[in-house]
Amino acid sequence: MAMGTVLAWTILLPLVGGVAIALIPQSGSKFARPVALLVTGVVLAMATWLWISFNPADPGMQFEIVRDWVPGLGTAFHLGVDGLSLPMLFLTAFLSLLAVIASARISEFTREYFTLILLLEAGLIGVFIALDLILFYVFWEVVLIPMFFLINIWGGPRRRYAAIKFFLYTLAGSLAMLGGIISLFLATGAQTFDMIALAPQAARLSLAAQTAIFTAIAFALAIKVPMVPLHTWLPDAHVEAPTAVSVLLAGVLLKMGSYGFLRFGPQLLPDGFERLVPLIALLGVVSIVYGAACALVQTDLKKLIAYSSVSHMGYVMLGIAAGTAAGVLGASVQMFSHGLIAGMAFLLVGAYYERAHTREISAFGGTARVAPILAGTLVFMSFASLGLPGMSGFIGEFMVVTGSFGPFTTYSAIAAFAVVLTAGYLLWMLRRVVFGQLNEARADMPDMTRTEAAAIFPLCIATLCIGVFPQVLVGVMEASVESVAKILGA
Amino acid sequence: MNTLPVLSIVALTPLAAAILIGAFGRGTQLPRVLALVAATICLAGSAWVWATYDRAAGGVQFVESVRWIPSLGISYIVGVDGISVPMLALMALVMFTGVLVSWNVDERPRLFFALLLLLVTGVFGVFVSVDAFLLFFFYEMAVVPMYLLIAIWGSTHKDYAAMKLTLFLFAGSALITIALALVYWQVGASTFDLRIWAGANFPPGFQRWVFLLMFVGFGTLVPIWPLHTWSPDGHVAAPTAVSMMHAGVLLKIGAYGVLRLGMTLFPEGLRDWALLIAIIGAINVVYGALCAMNQTDLKYVIGYSSVSHMGYVLLGFAMIDKFGLQGAVFQMFAHGIMTALFFALIGYVYEKSHTRQIADISGLMSRTPLVAAAFVIASAASMGLPSTSGFVAELLVYVGIIGRSPLLAAIAFVGVVVTAAYLIRMLGKILLGEPSQAVERIVDPSPVRLAPMGILAITIMTVGIFPATMYQTINAGIEPLLTKLMGG
Amino acid sequence: MADPTVALTFLAPEIIVALTGALVLVIDLIWIRSTDAPNTPRPWLAYLSIAGLGLAAGAVIGLAGVQTTLFEGIVILDPLSTFFKLLFLAIGMIVLLISVDPLPGFSKWSAEFFALIVWCTLGNMLLASAAELFTIFLCLQLTSLPLIVLIGYAKRDPLSSEASLKYLLLVLVSTAVLLYGMTLVYGALGTSTISEIGKVLAEQRLTPVLALGLVLLLTGFGFKITAVPFQYWVPDVYEGAPSPVTAFLSVGSKFAGFALALRIIVTGLDIPLNWHLIFGVMAALSMTLGNLGALRQTNIKRMLAYSGIAQAGYLLVGLAALSEMGIASLLFYTAAYGFANLLAFTAVIVFANATGSYEISDYAGLARRAPLASFALTVALLSLGGLPLLAGFMAKFYVFLFAAQAGLIWLVAVGVVNSVIALYYYLRVIWQLYVPEGSLDPISVAPRAGLAMSVCAVGVFAIGVFPEPVLRASQMAASALFGG
Repeated sequence: MAMGTVLAWTILLPLVGGVAIALIPQSGSKFARPVALLVTGVVLAMATWLWISFNPADPGMQFEIVRDWVPGLGTAFHLGVDGLSLPMLFLTAFLSLLAVIASARISEFTREYFTLILLLEAGLIGVFIALDLILFYVFWEVVLIPMFFLINIWGGPRRRYAAIKFFLYTLAGSLAMLGGIISLFLATGAQTFDMIALAPQAARLSLAAQTAIFTAIAFALAIKVPMVPLHTWLPDAHVEAPTAVSVLLAGVLLKMGSYGFLRFGPQLLPDGFERLVPLIALLGVVSIVYGAACALVQTDLKKLIAYSSVSHMGYVMLGIAAGTAAGVLGASVQMFSHGLIAGMAFLLVGAYYERAHTREISAFGGTARVAPILAGTLVFMSFASLGLPGMSGFIGEFMVVTGSFGPFTTYSAIAAFAVVLTAGYLLWMLRRVVFGQLNEARADMPDMTRTEAAAIFPLCIATLCIGVFPQVLVGVMEASVESVAKILGA
Repeated sequence: MNTLPVLSIVALTPLAAAILIGAFGRGTQLPRVLALVAATICLAGSAWVWATYDRAAGGVQFVESVRWIPSLGISYIVGVDGISVPMLALMALVMFTGVLVSWNVDERPRLFFALLLLLVTGVFGVFVSVDAFLLFFFYEMAVVPMYLLIAIWGSTHKDYAAMKLTLFLFAGSALITIALALVYWQVGASTFDLRIWAGANFPPGFQRWVFLLMFVGFGTLVPIWPLHTWSPDGHVAAPTAVSMMHAGVLLKIGAYGVLRLGMTLFPEGLRDWALLIAIIGAINVVYGALCAMNQTDLKYVIGYSSVSHMGYVLLGFAMIDKFGLQGAVFQMFAHGIMTALFFALIGYVYEKSHTRQIADISGLMSRTPLVAAAFVIASAASMGLPSTSGFVAELLVYVGIIGRSPLLAAIAFVGVVVTAAYLIRMLGKILLGEPSQAVERIVDPSPVRLAPMGILAITIMTVGIFPATMYQTINAGIEPLLTKLMGG
Repeated sequence: MADPTVALTFLAPEIIVALTGALVLVIDLIWIRSTDAPNTPRPWLAYLSIAGLGLAAGAVIGLAGVQTTLFEGIVILDPLSTFFKLLFLAIGMIVLLISVDPLPGFSKWSAEFFALIVWCTLGNMLLASAAELFTIFLCLQLTSLPLIVLIGYAKRDPLSSEASLKYLLLVLVSTAVLLYGMTLVYGALGTSTISEIGKVLAEQRLTPVLALGLVLLLTGFGFKITAVPFQYWVPDVYEGAPSPVTAFLSVGSKFAGFALALRIIVTGLDIPLNWHLIFGVMAALSMTLGNLGALRQTNIKRMLAYSGIAQAGYLLVGLAALSEMGIASLLFYTAAYGFANLLAFTAVIVFANATGSYEISDYAGLARRAPLASFALTVALLSLGGLPLLAGFMAKFYVFLFAAQAGLIWLVAVGVVNSVIALYYYLRVIWQLYVPEGSLDPISVAPRAGLAMSVCAVGVFAIGVFPEPVLRASQMAASALFGG
C-alpha cells in the first residue's frame, strides 16, 4: 500500500468508524466505545507506521496524495506530511485514543458521543495533513460541529453559553480566514488552492497584499491559539467541556492555530508574516504573563489549567515569532509537549472532579494521603508543566527562550521569568490540593482506577521519553524547521 | 443520440398522473401510489439525464422540438444545459421526497396529489423549456395549484398567505408578460426559441429596461427584498411537501428565470444593474438573517433564512464572473436540497407535536436521534459548513465577491455569522436538553418518513464531499453565458 | 351578384335558423292543441332548436369558402362573418342546452323561450354579415326585441321585470342614438354602405356634423359591447335576467357588438383620428372599472357582470392595436372568452338549481357536494383569469402581444395589472368552493347541464392547449377584413 493511501485513511477511518457507530442500533450502545477504541487504535498504529517510514532528512512533503475535487476552482484533495505536521498527526491519534479510553463513564447518548469524537479526530487530522487551502479550511470547520455538540450535550451546567460562545468566536475567525484564503487565491491569480503550488507566487505578492491577507488569516489562527485578547472563549469552553473533550481541546485543538501560523506565515506569506512578527511576539509574551497571572488567582481547578494553556501557548507563539531555527524548533516541540501535558492535566482534573463533584480548589486538600497515586501523578504533571528538566516541557520552553533571545531580548527575558509565575501557580495549587490538611469531605476518596491509569500513564511515559530522548521528536522536525528558518532568515 | 424523449417524459408524466388521479383516484391508496410511480419515473428520467449529459460538449442537449403554434412561431422545444440539469435533479429529488412526506395526507388525498403533480409539471416544464413562451406557460401553470394546496391543506393564516403568494407571483408574471412581448417584437424573427433570442443583439437602452422588467418579474419569486414578504408567510402556511417544493424549487425558478431570460439575453442590462442587484442581494442576506434571528416559529426561521440564502444567489449573479455565477447556480441547488430537508423535518416534528414554537420544543436528540442528526446536517449546510453542499456554493460565491468588492464580502460575512448564530441557537434549543412535553410523543420516524430525510441528507453530504460532477455540469452550463458576458 | 336565388343560397344558414324558430312555435301550438297535458315539459323542442342551429352551422361551414357581397353590398360574406356566425350558433346551442332544465321558480320553459333565443341568434348572425347602416339597424332590432322579452321572462320575479324594463329603456335610447348617428352620417356622406363610407371618407375632411354622427354611431355600439362608459346597465340587467339569458347576453350580444364595430371601424372609418388612443383609453377604463367593481360583489351574477365589463376591456385592447393581428387576437379572445363564460354560467345555474342562491358565500364547500361542477367553475374562472392550459391564457397573451407590437406598452401594462386584480376575485370564489366545510349532500347534475359543461370545458382546454386552428381561423377572418 502506498503511504499516501495510509495517510488518507487516517482521515477516512475515523469518518467511517464514526458513521458506523452512529448506525449501531440503540440496543447495541455498549459496543460504541469498543468500536471507537478499535478505530482510534488503528489510526494510532497507522500514525506510528507513518512516523517510522518518514524520511527525517527530507524537509519537503512526503506521502503526498492528490485527487480531483473541484477542478475548475483549482482545489484538490491533496494530503501530505512534513516534519511539522507529522508530530501533530501522531499527537492527535495518540490523544484521541486516550480520550476514548477516558470516556468510559459516558452513559448518555453513548453512540452519539463516540461518533462525534471520531469525527473530531478526522477533522483534526485533516487540518494537519491537508495541503490544499480549501481542504485545510474544510477540516478547520469540520472540527467546529462535533466540538460544539460535545460541549453542548455532555458539558457542565453552563454548557450552552460556552458552546455558543466557542462556536461564534471560532466561526467569526474562520470567515476571516476564508476571506484571506480567497483573497490569496485571487491575488496570485494562480488558479489553484494548492499550498505547494501557490507558495512561490504568494511569496512574490506585494508587501501590502501579503500583510492584508495574512492579517485576516492570522486573526482566525489567533483565536484558536488563543492569543490574548482573543482568548476569552477558552476558559468557558474548557470548564464546561467533559474531560475527554477538554483533553482534545487543549491538547490538539489549540495547536491548529499555532500550526497554521507555521504553515501560512513562513511558507506562504513570508513578508506579511514578517510584518506582523512584532505584534505576534508581543501578544505571545502578553499571553504568557497574563495567562499565568490569571491562573494564579483561579479558585477553580479546571480554569487554572485552562489559563495555564493560554500561558503555555504564548511560548509557542513567541518561538514562532522569533523565526530562528531554535525558536521554531522550540515552538514545535512545545506544541507537542503541551499536547501531552495539557492532556494529562485535564484527565487528572477530571478524575478529581468525578470524585468530589466539584472543581473548587478549596474543596480538596491533603489528597496525597488518601489517593497517593492520583496525587503523585498530579505532582508529576505540574513539574512537567513548569518545565522541569528531563521532561518534555523543559525542552520546548528552553529552546523557545534561547531561540528568541536574539531577536527579542526583552521578551525572551520576560518569558524566562514568567516560569517563576508558572511555578508559583502550580506549586500553590499542589499545596492546596495534594498536600496540607486533609479535607474531611475527601476522606474516603478512592485512588486512581485502572481506566484512568490507562489513559494517564501513557502520557507520563511519553513526557519522560521526550524529555530524556528529545532526538526522537526533534529528529523528525529538524529538516523542516531548518527550511522554515531559512526562509525567515533570508 | 438517444431517441427516447426523456425530457418530455419527465415534464409530462406528472401531468398525466395528475389527470389519472383526478379521474380515477378514489380512496387514499391509489392517489399516493400513482404519485409515487410518477415521482419514480421523474427521478429515473432526471438521473438518466444527469448521467448521460455530455459535460464536455456542453450546450443544450436532449432537444425535442415540435411545432406547436406555428402562426406565432411558438414551438414545444425542450432541452437541457448545464444549468438546468442540476435544477432538474433538484426538482426530481424534492418531488420524490415530497410525495413520501405526504404519504399520510388523509384529507382529500385525491385532490392533494393531483394538485401537487400539476405543480410539479409546471416546475419541471420551466426547467426544460427552450422556448420562452413555453417556459412562461409552465411557470404560470404552477401558480394556481400552489394557491389551492396552501389554501386547503395549509396551517397558520393560510387564506391570507395563499392569496398573498398568488397575487405576488402573478404580479411578477405580469411584468414578464410585457417583457416577453417586447423581446418578441424586437427580435422580429417570429420565434420564441431562446437559442435564437440569445443570438440576437439588443440595443443597450432596450437591454437596460427589459432586463429590469425580467429581473423584477422573476425576482419577485426569488424573492428579492423588498418584494419578499409573501415568501415567509407562504412557507409557513404551506403543507410540508409544498413548503419543500416552494422553498426548495419554486424560489429557484425565479433565479433561473433571471438567469435564462434576463442575464443570458441582456448582458448589457445586467452590467447596468449589477450594482443594484448586488445591493439588493446584500440586503437579502443580512436582512433575511436578522429577521430569522427574531422568529419564534421554526418555519418562519427557515422562511427568512431562505430570503437570506437566495441573497447569495443574487450576489453571485451581480459579480458577473465565473466563480460568482458558478456559486450562484450551485447555491440554487444546495439551498433547494437543504431547505427541503429542513421543511421535511419541521413538518415531521409539527405533525407529532402540533407545535412549531421553538420555545415549546426541546430535547429532540434524546427522543429521535435520527431527526436530530438530519437537523444538524441541514443546519450545517445552511451555515455553509464544509463537507456540505452549502459550503461549496458559498465558497464559490465568496471567491466571486472578494474579487470584486471586499466591502460586499464583509457584509456577506456578517450574514454568515448571524446565520450561524440563529441556527446554532435554534439547534441548541430544540435538540438538546430534557425533552419537553410537546415532543414526548415523537419517536424515530417510520421508514416512509425517514426515507426522504435520508435521501436529502445524503445528497447534501455527497454533493458537499464530491462536488466535482456537479461543478463540471454547472460549468458546462455557464460557459457560453460567461463568454457572452465577458465578450459583449 | 344579380341572381337572387344564388343570393338566397348564400343566406341558407340564416334561413334555416329563421325557419327553426318558426317551426318550434308552430309545433308547440299543435302540441298544445292535441294533448291533455299542455304543461308537461317539452325538452324535445329545445333539442329541435339545437338541431336546427346545428344544421345552420353545417351550412355555414359549407359556405365557408365564399367571399362575396349580396344585394348590392348590404350583406357581406367573408371569413369574418363565417367566424362570428359559427360562434353565435355555438353559443345559441349551448344556451338552449342549459335552458332545458327550468330554474327554481319556473314550472317550465315554453316554446317561445327557445324560439326567441333562436331568433336572437339569427339577429346576431345577420349583424355579422350586415354591411350597410340601415340593415345594421334592422338586425339590431331583431336581436334586441327578443332579448327584452327574454330578460323579463321570469314574470313573477321583480328583479327580472325591472331588468327587462331597464333593458327596454336602454334599447330605446341606444336605438335613438344610433339612428340619429346613422342619419347624420348618411346625410353628410350620401351613402350608407360601409365600404362606400370608407371610400368617401378617405377623400373628405371631417366636418363637425360628420364627427357628431360618428360619435353617436359608436355610442350605439358601445352599449352593445358593454365597454366603459356605456356599462351602467350591465350589472342590474345581468343580475335580474334569468341565468341562461344572462349567459346569452354576456357573450352573444357582446360579440355581435364587436362584429359590427370591427366591420365599421376597420373598413369604414379610415379617418385620421387616434383610434389607438380612443380605444386604448376605453379598454383601460373598462378593465380597471370592471375589475374594481367586481372586487366588491357578493353575488356571483353581478360579479360576472362586472368581470364581463373588464373582459370587454381586454377585447378592446385587441381593437386598439388596430392591426390585422390585433383584430385576429380580438377574435381569438372572443372564442376563448365565449366558452369560458358559458361554462361559468352553466356551473352557476347548476349551483343555483341546487341551492337556490347566487350568493358567493353560499358556495362554501360545494366542491365536496358537486366536484365536477366545481371543477368546471374553477376551470372557467381560471380561464377568465388567464391561466395556462386554459383558453384564457393564450387569449390574453395574444392580445397583449399584438398590442405591444402596436406600441401600446402602457395599455399592456394596465392589462397585466388588471389580470392580477381579476385573479383575486376569481380565486376568492374558488376558495369558497374548495376550502370551507359545508353540507355534504351530493348535488346531482342534470345530464344536459353536464353535457353543456363538458362541451365548454373541452373547448376551453382545446383552445388553451392547441390554439392553432382557432388562431388560424381568426387570422383569416382578420385578414379578410383588411385585405378585402
